[in-house]
Amino acid sequence: LKSLASEIHGVQDASTLGIASINGAEVVLYGDPGRPVAFFLREELGLRGTKIGCGSGECGACTILVDGVAVCSCLLPLHRVRNASILTIEGMASEGLLHPIQTALKEHGAFQCGFCMPGMVMSIHALLQDNPTPSEQDIRDALQGNVCRCSGYVKLLEAVRSLCGGATS
Amino acid sequence: VTRHFRHIGRRMASLDADEKVTGQLAYTHDITRPGMLTGLILRSPHAHARILSLDLEAARAMPGVRAVICGADFVGGQYVNFGPVYADRYPLAVGLVRHKGEEVAAVAADTLPQARAALAMIRVEYEILPSVFSTAGALAANAPVIHAKAGLPPNIAQHSAAKFGDVDAAFASAALVVKGTFSHGAVAPICLETNAVVADFDAATGILQVWAGTQAPFFARKEIAHVLGLELEKVIIRSSGIGGGFGGKSQSPEPIAIGCLLSVRARRPVRIALDRREEFIAGKTDHAKTMTVSTAVAADGRLLGRYTEYHVDNGAYTLMGPAYISAVRQRTCNLYRVGAAGFDGKLVYTNKVPGGSYRGMGAPQIIWAIESQIDEIARHLGRDRLEYRLSIANQAGDQTPMGWQIGTCGLTECLTEAGQRIGWAEKSRNPKPWRGLGIAAMINPSVGVLYPEGNFAHVSLELRRDGRILLGTQTADCGTSQNTVLAQYAAEAMDVDIGCIDVLHMDTENAPDDLGSAASRVTFVSGAAAIRAGEMFVEEICRRLAMRWNVDPKEVEFRDGVGGVRGDNARRLDLAEIAAAEGPFKIVGRHDIHMPRADPKTGYGHYAPAYGFGALAAEVEVDPATGAVRIVKIVSVQDMGRVINPIALEGQMHGGIVQGIGMVLQEELVFDDGEPVNTSLISYKVPRISETPDIELAFVETHDPTGPFGAKAGGEHPINMTVAAIANAITDATGIQFNTLPITPGKILNAIVARDGPRPAAQPWRRPYNLEVAAARALYPDVLFPALKRLGEKVGRPVKGAAQPEMLVPDSLSAALSMLELHGPDAKVMAGGTDLQVGMKQGVYAPRTLIDISGLSELRGISIEGDYLRIGAGTTISAILSSPLTAGHVPLLKQGLSHIATRQIRNMATLGGDLCQEKRCWFFRAPKQCYKHGGATCPCYAVLGDSRHHSIMGAGRCAAPCVADAAPILVALGATLVAANTKGMRTIGIEDFYRWSGETVLQADELLLWVHVPLTPVAQFQHFEKFAQWRGDFAEASVAAAIRFDGPVVAEARLSFGGVAPLPMRASPVEAALIGRRLLPDAIVEAAGCCARGALPLRDNAVKIPLLQAIVTRCLALAAENSPA
Repeated sequence: LKSLASEIHGVQDASTLGIASINGAEVVLYGDPGRPVAFFLREELGLRGTKIGCGSGECGACTILVDGVAVCSCLLPLHRVRNASILTIEGMASEGLLHPIQTALKEHGAFQCGFCMPGMVMSIHALLQDNPTPSEQDIRDALQGNVCRCSGYVKLLEAVRSLCGGATS
Repeated sequence: VTRHFRHIGRRMASLDADEKVTGQLAYTHDITRPGMLTGLILRSPHAHARILSLDLEAARAMPGVRAVICGADFVGGQYVNFGPVYADRYPLAVGLVRHKGEEVAAVAADTLPQARAALAMIRVEYEILPSVFSTAGALAANAPVIHAKAGLPPNIAQHSAAKFGDVDAAFASAALVVKGTFSHGAVAPICLETNAVVADFDAATGILQVWAGTQAPFFARKEIAHVLGLELEKVIIRSSGIGGGFGGKSQSPEPIAIGCLLSVRARRPVRIALDRREEFIAGKTDHAKTMTVSTAVAADGRLLGRYTEYHVDNGAYTLMGPAYISAVRQRTCNLYRVGAAGFDGKLVYTNKVPGGSYRGMGAPQIIWAIESQIDEIARHLGRDRLEYRLSIANQAGDQTPMGWQIGTCGLTECLTEAGQRIGWAEKSRNPKPWRGLGIAAMINPSVGVLYPEGNFAHVSLELRRDGRILLGTQTADCGTSQNTVLAQYAAEAMDVDIGCIDVLHMDTENAPDDLGSAASRVTFVSGAAAIRAGEMFVEEICRRLAMRWNVDPKEVEFRDGVGGVRGDNARRLDLAEIAAAEGPFKIVGRHDIHMPRADPKTGYGHYAPAYGFGALAAEVEVDPATGAVRIVKIVSVQDMGRVINPIALEGQMHGGIVQGIGMVLQEELVFDDGEPVNTSLISYKVPRISETPDIELAFVETHDPTGPFGAKAGGEHPINMTVAAIANAITDATGIQFNTLPITPGKILNAIVARDGPRPAAQPWRRPYNLEVAAARALYPDVLFPALKRLGEKVGRPVKGAAQPEMLVPDSLSAALSMLELHGPDAKVMAGGTDLQVGMKQGVYAPRTLIDISGLSELRGISIEGDYLRIGAGTTISAILSSPLTAGHVPLLKQGLSHIATRQIRNMATLGGDLCQEKRCWFFRAPKQCYKHGGATCPCYAVLGDSRHHSIMGAGRCAAPCVADAAPILVALGATLVAANTKGMRTIGIEDFYRWSGETVLQADELLLWVHVPLTPVAQFQHFEKFAQWRGDFAEASVAAAIRFDGPVVAEARLSFGGVAPLPMRASPVEAALIGRRLLPDAIVEAAGCCARGALPLRDNAVKIPLLQAIVTRCLALAAENSPA
């Protein structure tokens, strides 16, 4: 992914908005400064793991981490991530090895259609980064913004609890 | 004979789990093709109208436009989805539109903005026709005719009536007859991936490749070929991930066919992906129903007869309506032992979005109706509700009035087990106040012949060159793990490691025909085909190896992936070696449900090889003060035959149960003039993680001889019982039966107050302005509303169109103010952007310029300045929550603001943005041309429309309530705001910040800079109490309180309400009642009792008065606990 955008698109002179680090690689930002980051990731960089379920910040499928903070990338204007460090779902597994969060979700069968998963993984990552031993309430609060229609959230909760050594309510 | 299974019954993660958790699985939304265009659909703005003219030429001339199509371009005419008898819909309207949102024309262009611009250039002239939105209205004499079908009265798509056994005699001889009418609206499937299609037509070969979210590629392909007039072989559906199905992506092929024709015309690939609002207004919803159920009971409790008269709201066209007619008659005639049964069901057209299908296909609600009556009967008979059910449970060997012959039947075991696990006996003996138990059962055919094509499945197994096996199926895995289950079946039958199987689903070129993933059929029907394919695969290997080694095929065996001659260690080949030696080969296994089709008119006949059963028990706790239902526990016990993959099945059960919770407690499409208005995932109450209760699952494995390895169907089971069990538990807890769904807190609280009283006094005369408002409202239905609607459409400011605004990013505060001065009313300030960008999509805002102030450090941060706390208006809610200054000095800010939205939104949204956000009224956001859009010449839609969320106090021209949680909190804290323009700064008291209608007093060139929260005098008690569907949802009612005590006596009290008035209303009567008093119980009752003084509620929201009183009481009780002794 290194400098993917600049390789594909060449130097984006007038429309260049600056650079950002995306999953550890430096990327040139370009185009409409108001374009939501989710669309830039998906359509310009081909990072289609970030999903758009509503485009209104209501479902959380587009959740990414910007400087360690979980945000809805469908509502984040592109120019705001200038010089930021972005982590998307594509940056979670490394060299073919699943991240422990991904392994837990897989082993617990925490998802079905999988469309909510990228956003869910990122929200869980943000939660555990800030608070490795969340309470049941902390978990539910952190994932309140991520809609899953398939799973009823039951195995999802089990998976997250397993990651923090079993939360107490 | 006990068989040892290698793969069946194993807890296997789904085969595509890695792709899903890493985001690598490509869904239709993610498919791209070189040169792909964007397709958009023009939709009808009218519920019923004649298309007088349609002019596409201007759109065709727009830049970047590659194709523009309308109804006449589909040479095949109408969809034939449910057979020619039910054909009534064109892919794009021809001549008439029959619901708002109906597809009228479509455009494909190089980019999305170009497609939008072109769409806006299509000119349609309509003649508006009278419309009708209820089944009762559509059946009335002189109703507007939506469709007139030969041999049926107007507006009826299907009429099904029959009696099995002597129903009349049953009722005549009954000791007890119960009768009740049960009704519900439509819920939406809410697939997280909206319906979408990528179509790629190759003009040279004439082949059309299609990637689409569809549960049934077989039917989608047939329909595409039909409406486009293509040969079936030229249409190929390809494989992709599917972001949820639940019926919402069932057979019906829009927008698929539209995307296909655009691609054919443009000779380029085209993608259409519906946006979330389109998915609501034109997606595939459940069907609304009204069901009058009568049951005849003998003195000993036997059910002598049951009769159901029902209407199914078909919407404007027939998609899956006939399946809903069938679902009701099946439960009427088969659930519990019933002597005789009959029904009269009508599928009725209305000018609403056509019903599609949703999990359970109408069964959850008819089971709810029947199970409500079973409870009622048990109460009449003085019998325990569980024991009574056991006495009437279906049993193996029964034949039902409809002719179903029940083979294996675990219903008794399911009921008993569910009762034990929930603690039925013990809890029934010792009931707790406001706690309730409910139980419900279900029966589901597993699975019948539903289609004119029969009910068949094919599964192919291909040994590939590398020794791997490709399993092909035209079913579509929407997340149910069916691909994994089919691989388990095949691996078991072949005796190979499951790791050597890959699955290709959906692909109509490389996988064999199958009727698709619906009606819980895949495990049962396609599963049997997978077993057959596995057996054939082994036979084929043995045959080939026998020829190779010149031995009798009976001498050859294939075990654990290795073929060889029995007792000969030399002649053995593994899969890779067999592939290399014998070349790749492919076999296809088929399975048919060899049953006669049930009589399509009456449904009579034993048409399914097996029937699945289940019971679900629920314990709930009802909060009598707010009507909120807490689900304490759910126990589901089901007979689904043998469990093939427990982890997948449990997931299915959990998901279905939580969908059932949504259906019974909160989910409902709210219509205004036939158009859904709650078209977002906030206003449509989709269950979130906070609603997930404790769920316990158990399975009674009956090992049905007709099922593949003893399995029965299961996908629809869980939702079918959940609705009824929870509804019955609510009745048990409250003593009140609810006959409409969903059973919202508002309905429950209303019913409790109506029964137990007293309704708190509103005393509307205390606010003289109410006289004027009441008079205007009285004139609304006949005079004011129609007049203002007409006037508004003529002279009101039009609802703003979506345009692409220019974004300016000032690098300093002064630059920002200069920009504001220059652009004034054409500009909007954007901070977090979480409301602004959503509003722009909805037509609430249409700025030409966006001034992005998020980078201005002057507007961020929290500091102590003398005796107040200064918070930059651009500070995010999260930053305020995590600041030690907030927690240390103003606990209310930390505790209260944590109620705002979700983690992600709090990380983006700012304090200033929360205060300045637009109203969330669903009419305003639909958008309807209401007062807020069009000004004084336009009406307020809440006066006559669904006003459950609106203001109860202080509403005049606009009834939208203030839902900014920060607003009442800052009123309670006595904050002041500092705003500036290029000319200078001014300070505004928070109570002066909002006009009476709820807009802020900021001028177009003014920017909100800081919020000042005084630190003295210190209010010892600070608290924010809010009632909402879930913590971060917009408040139904909220109260923020800051109370300073002098000793044990209240010296100063500032209380403010959110969610009940157009602005954060100061609770002056409550404050007055508190000052100088100790917070003893009677003082609290008295103070809370005057919280709604001067209220003038609308039609649907009077319940907010007792709700507000409840949360004020709660807040003051907490204050009393924390008051100095």
